[in-house]
Amino acid sequence: MSVLRPFKATDMFKFNHINLDLWTETYGINFYLSYLARWPDLCSVEESPNGRLMGYILGKAEGAGTEWHGHVTALSVAPEYRRLCLARKMTAQLERVSDETYHGFFVDLYVRCTNAIAIGMYEGLGYSVYRRVREYYGSLGLGRNSKDEEDAFDMRKPLSRDSLRRSVRSNGREIVVSAHDVS
Amino acid sequence: MSAAFERQIRPVYEALDTGSNKSAVLACNKLLKKHPKNELVKALKALALIRSQKVEESLVLCDEVLASRPTDESTLSAMMHVLRGLGRHTDMVTMYEDAFKHQPGNEELGSQTFMANVRIGNWKAAQQIATKMHKQFHDDHYLYWSVMSAVLQANDPTTPPNMRPILYKLAHRLVTSSGTPSYFSADRFYLHLTILRELQLYDEAFELLEHEVGKAICAASLACDELRREIWKAKGLCKEEGARARERITAEKDRNWLEFLSVVDAAFHDLGSSPTSASDEVKTTCAESIAAARELFNQVAEEDGTRDRTGRLALLELEKRAWASGLSDDPAEMRRLLESYFNRFGDKAVCFEDLRPYISLEGDVLTAWTSFLKAVPSTPETRDDLSRYMNAQKLLRYNLSTSEVTSEAEAACALQYFSSYLDALKFGKELPDTELQPADDLALLSGQAFVGAWKAGGEAVHLYQAAAVLEYASSRSKQSYLIRLLLIRVYRLLGASSLALEHYRAMSVKQVQTDTLSHLILTRASTFSLSSIGDLTYSSECLESSQIYLTNSQETAEFTVRAFGSEKYTQVPEFISFEERLDNSLQRDLTKIEHVRMRISHEPVSSDLVDMELIELKFIFDRFHHDNRDFDVIPNYQPRCGPTFNEQTTLFDKSPGSGWLSIFLKIYIKIFQCASDLDDTVEDKLLIGDRPKPSLDPENKAPLKERLAKRKQEEFDELTADELAFFDYAMALSDWLAPYHDYIRPPPSAVLAEAAKQTELKTGFPLKGVELPKNGSATNGHAKKDKDEEPPAVSAPPDSLSKYFDDMSLRFKEALESDRLPSELLHLVTLTQEALILLSIETWRFKPNSVIKQHKLGAMVQSFKELRTKASAVLNDMSASLVKLGEEGATIDSRKAFVEACKPVWAESGLDHDFVSTISKKVTESRKQVLEGVGKGILRVLKNHA
Repeated sequence: MSVLRPFKATDMFKFNHINLDLWTETYGINFYLSYLARWPDLCSVEESPNGRLMGYILGKAEGAGTEWHGHVTALSVAPEYRRLCLARKMTAQLERVSDETYHGFFVDLYVRCTNAIAIGMYEGLGYSVYRRVREYYGSLGLGRNSKDEEDAFDMRKPLSRDSLRRSVRSNGREIVVSAHDVS
Repeated sequence: MSAAFERQIRPVYEALDTGSNKSAVLACNKLLKKHPKNELVKALKALALIRSQKVEESLVLCDEVLASRPTDESTLSAMMHVLRGLGRHTDMVTMYEDAFKHQPGNEELGSQTFMANVRIGNWKAAQQIATKMHKQFHDDHYLYWSVMSAVLQANDPTTPPNMRPILYKLAHRLVTSSGTPSYFSADRFYLHLTILRELQLYDEAFELLEHEVGKAICAASLACDELRREIWKAKGLCKEEGARARERITAEKDRNWLEFLSVVDAAFHDLGSSPTSASDEVKTTCAESIAAARELFNQVAEEDGTRDRTGRLALLELEKRAWASGLSDDPAEMRRLLESYFNRFGDKAVCFEDLRPYISLEGDVLTAWTSFLKAVPSTPETRDDLSRYMNAQKLLRYNLSTSEVTSEAEAACALQYFSSYLDALKFGKELPDTELQPADDLALLSGQAFVGAWKAGGEAVHLYQAAAVLEYASSRSKQSYLIRLLLIRVYRLLGASSLALEHYRAMSVKQVQTDTLSHLILTRASTFSLSSIGDLTYSSECLESSQIYLTNSQETAEFTVRAFGSEKYTQVPEFISFEERLDNSLQRDLTKIEHVRMRISHEPVSSDLVDMELIELKFIFDRFHHDNRDFDVIPNYQPRCGPTFNEQTTLFDKSPGSGWLSIFLKIYIKIFQCASDLDDTVEDKLLIGDRPKPSLDPENKAPLKERLAKRKQEEFDELTADELAFFDYAMALSDWLAPYHDYIRPPPSAVLAEAAKQTELKTGFPLKGVELPKNGSATNGHAKKDKDEEPPAVSAPPDSLSKYFDDMSLRFKEALESDRLPSELLHLVTLTQEALILLSIETWRFKPNSVIKQHKLGAMVQSFKELRTKASAVLNDMSASLVKLGEEGATIDSRKAFVEACKPVWAESGLDHDFVSTISKKVTESRKQVLEGVGKGILRVLKNHA
């Protein structure tokens, strides 16, 4: 049971238990505010009935022409609220708004190539690898394959406007671009 | 601007952009030789100067440019940055207003003037400018700016209550006057709805919402849908909302908890607020709707299976309310629902939190529920089994009764949890270091139960055991911040403060988190600070944690401006409230007080210290504080019959809040006021930039003196007994000496003259806005300036001052004998030391021989000496005891004793004995460091204040 509601600036006082997790970065307040000041409808939280935040999503709309799309910038769920399909609910909301409000062609997101669990989850949500981006992430190589960890998959899911599914391709894993080529 | 000039000025911009402020200043100087009157160059130089911290020089230039009333956009934009850097937002407003008046057709200037008002929350002016712009430039978004500003003005605490409806009506009129309906965007629509809600024009709102476009907006915008829900409720459409929610649950498969709550609310709607007095007829229809809701939830629960738990939890919520309204008569029904929930979702980490609101059971039902949970296998075979087992343990522990929470029972529980933990580590064997261990929660339970054992029996060994268990778990699950949180609390109690700090730092708390989490180590941090021996670790932690407030005041308002620019009216009030809450954060000023306490134990008394701190503390005293501290982040698995883990591990059982802050502000403001030469008139002349907005609390309207004298029980309730004694001491001290200070303090004119002299020496320019009387002699103000007036008669110190030191000495000895925790000893010692420093600050003015002679203070000085001797004797003893204690506590024998005390933890569990030995070394060393440091620091302080 959870409540889906907009992310508010004052939620920054309440997201510690989500952000203290290793894989979630806490950015400066200007980062959150700049998202909220432009795309508040692409930022939402899942809250438990007692008012505790469970997870949040931050997104934006960007790109020109047929590249106009919704983008998932951050998606995080506190450890104790995992395995409850919260990520699915929050991305579904972001996809709905990207589709109906922004009329984007697709939604995309970046994920570490080594993060098999996340990749599997996104595939389950209808995303597929569009390309591999070299050295997208900084040097957070904590695991054994630190080289691999720096690379990201750009994963995409077409929206209703892309009825011909031009924004996805089946051989995305083999297409490699450098981090300079993506914004 | 000529092309040649443009070429010449480019290097200045480049230097500013790359942060080479020095070369920017040089480039400006070069240009100023050729163009001595050029305002843009002056403005840019002022900017470069501010960025190199040369505020005084910058001020001069800044004022010159302002006086010329600039109108060109480059100068204005440079000045905007200058004024922002100086915190002179009000001047920025004037500057833009002047420029806009000069060029009323310049739309960009109009916008900038509007935004300048937004930055300082000047909503009335903002509203007027926006209205004017709408009339002139005919763009709808100016109209909405004006609407938003009217709403913000209405909500501003400085607006009188009778003005609020008028402003909302104005906003309403404006919004309906618009050519395009608010449907244009979700954010405009939202703003429109908030106005209608406030004016209770529910029918009008309802009509908009029922319109096709309104429906479409609500379907996509969570913010608008939230408002829609509220408006329906306010309009009394509870049942309709229930029907709508039912539709969404079945047709759209919506699993938002709010929809389920709407169905529940609708089912009980007819009962009203007093279910007992409802007629039988009402009860019958209500029972029918409950049955219908139950059927719906059952259906959802079956359909969703283990995919979604909302249906099953809605059943629990429904039953809870039915029971509370007397519409359910089977007490076992709740248990059945709980069990069926547990059977489905017991393997989810969230299970305990989900069920907690529903398990306040009693009697047979509780017994049955307990035996159900006890039957959950204690030897898990899979990770899911482990989760189920952990949930069962948490649920069982939650319902323990008072008689079950003895020291022995808690210690036994803790060992049981720990042994299960060690077994369950096998489930995480293969995981990389970056993952959390699935068994972590068992270690948390063990740590909390050991703390429970300590709380119940008072034996510190249980805290050692908690530390050992948690340290082990932390070594196995390096990323678990929850384990670190528990350790921080335990270590602070044990006086192992460096270890607490280590764990805190490992959590890499940053940015806005420093506001919400720094309380973990900065609450009463001066107790552990070694600033007296020159170790500034805690002082710098205070400063680093306070960075965020600076960032907030520099950046957040810019985003409010941006939100206006992008017309995100949902965000504007949120940003304002965020900025306000962070700016007036309670933790911010609790940290400030701790920093002052550390500073005075490190630095000698000086007028710089006294004056600066006094000004700042007085500002703080005017604030209305918001408590943003996050205590919920600390897990709690303690039985519901007793205090939470957070409460159990609060230092000295008293958590400082706004009352505590108020007391310490009173102490330091009074002490510094005595020692300082500044009075309000002087202060006003010396300060630059805007003053903080005064708080609107009617109590703050009273004169400072009255407010300082005010005593409130709820404030005292936040103090420990020793802090209370310290407060009494400080008040007695300052009340005793205030008349002498008032007599001797130089008159304001002399103070100002001195300040002007210093400024001129520093910058080469006279102090702005201060006009000194030609002869420089005292001419204004103070009554005492009558040279013939006799100095106040010599008076003996109140007995309570000397008694304070005697009492503290006694309490310290008692604490030593009764083996109290190191943190408690440190509390007593640091407060005694602080009292001596206060004495030193209070008597600093009377130190020079000339002063003593001139004002015939010989007898007074004698009594200072006696007090000081008494304090020194007491403090010397304390120092020796602490140093001895530190040494004794870190010998091989005492480490052995620690390991021995932890024997139950390692003896049978197979935990490495060496591991516990290492922990014992760390803990005893850390404790020695602080005991010895504070002990030796006393000697240093005594010497510094001799």
